[in-house]
Amino acid sequence: MKKYILLSIMTAALPLVFVGCATKAHYIQTGGRESLVTVNSINIQDFIQAANDATSDLLASGVLDKVANPPAVLAISRIVNNTGQQIDTDLLTKKIRVALLNSGKAQTTTTMGLGGTAEDPMAKGLQQEAEFKSDQKATRTPDFTLSGKIIQTIAKDGNTSQSTFSFQLSLTDAKNGLAVWEGEKEITKQGGRPSVGF
Amino acid sequence: MKTRILLPLAGAALLAVTGCRTSMNSIENAQKTGQRQMISDSRVITDGSLAKKVSFVGVNQTMTPGGFLKIQIELLNRKHSLQRFSYQFEWFDANGMQINNIVSPTVPDEIEGGESKFISSVAPTSACKDFRVKFIEN
Repeated sequence: MKKYILLSIMTAALPLVFVGCATKAHYIQTGGRESLVTVNSINIQDFIQAANDATSDLLASGVLDKVANPPAVLAISRIVNNTGQQIDTDLLTKKIRVALLNSGKAQTTTTMGLGGTAEDPMAKGLQQEAEFKSDQKATRTPDFTLSGKIIQTIAKDGNTSQSTFSFQLSLTDAKNGLAVWEGEKEITKQGGRPSVGF
Repeated sequence: MKTRILLPLAGAALLAVTGCRTSMNSIENAQKTGQRQMISDSRVITDGSLAKKVSFVGVNQTMTPGGFLKIQIELLNRKHSLQRFSYQFEWFDANGMQINNIVSPTVPDEIEGGESKFISSVAPTSACKDFRVKFIEN
């Protein structure tokens, strides 16, 4: 009798086990609790968190308010990727730029870039044309440059692996080359390698 | 036979009770120089379980040099075990409209047993006048 009951429960549960594994494609909130977390790579929620911390810290410092003609003008310098992952550093810098622009405290130049490369070549061309026609320099020199580094530190113990991602940022005064604000956000993730995989 | 089954079970139960038990001692200066500007708060509790474990001690605010509202919330873990939760700050302008913030993360956090901890955030613009923080157990 017991065998029959057990058998019927198992038979009923078996399809549930297989059906339960299949996830139907659905939308989730970007960076929300349902976002996938992987130990060895930077997830979107990590970029959001690092950008939020940097922006909050920078705004709270009051450094951007000390320029002669507010809002401050920023130029994006090099963000070095020292992780084992290929990443587009704009995932970090763009969020900071948007947040700073929305705060009203800073604007970013798109006509000046690292090695003379403009982010927006058309805007640079139009700017140069305007300068040529009016015979006046219209370009506003950036007050600050933003540079940084993303570093990954890996640790392993048995089946447990750990990654720490350090987001280091520096805001340098373009006039004297001194770092007037520096921020570092560390995000550590730990996880075990599954012993049984499908 | 019964002993063979019960003994490992008892061991596992003991581990479950004692293995995750944490607690925290702390020391601070008795005569405080800084004065926290505490504000009255309004709470909506739908997860009684989380509220029993991690409680809100108080909320204080200040203005940054750039004129941004900064909020700090003190939390206390009433249990003797590590608690994991996530929180998210939302900001509102003078008309009560939510201000869209591109960098508004759901921050995963943890608090040790018996620990008192602060979480804080700076408003994304100087137009932010009010705030709300959402907490959810992980």
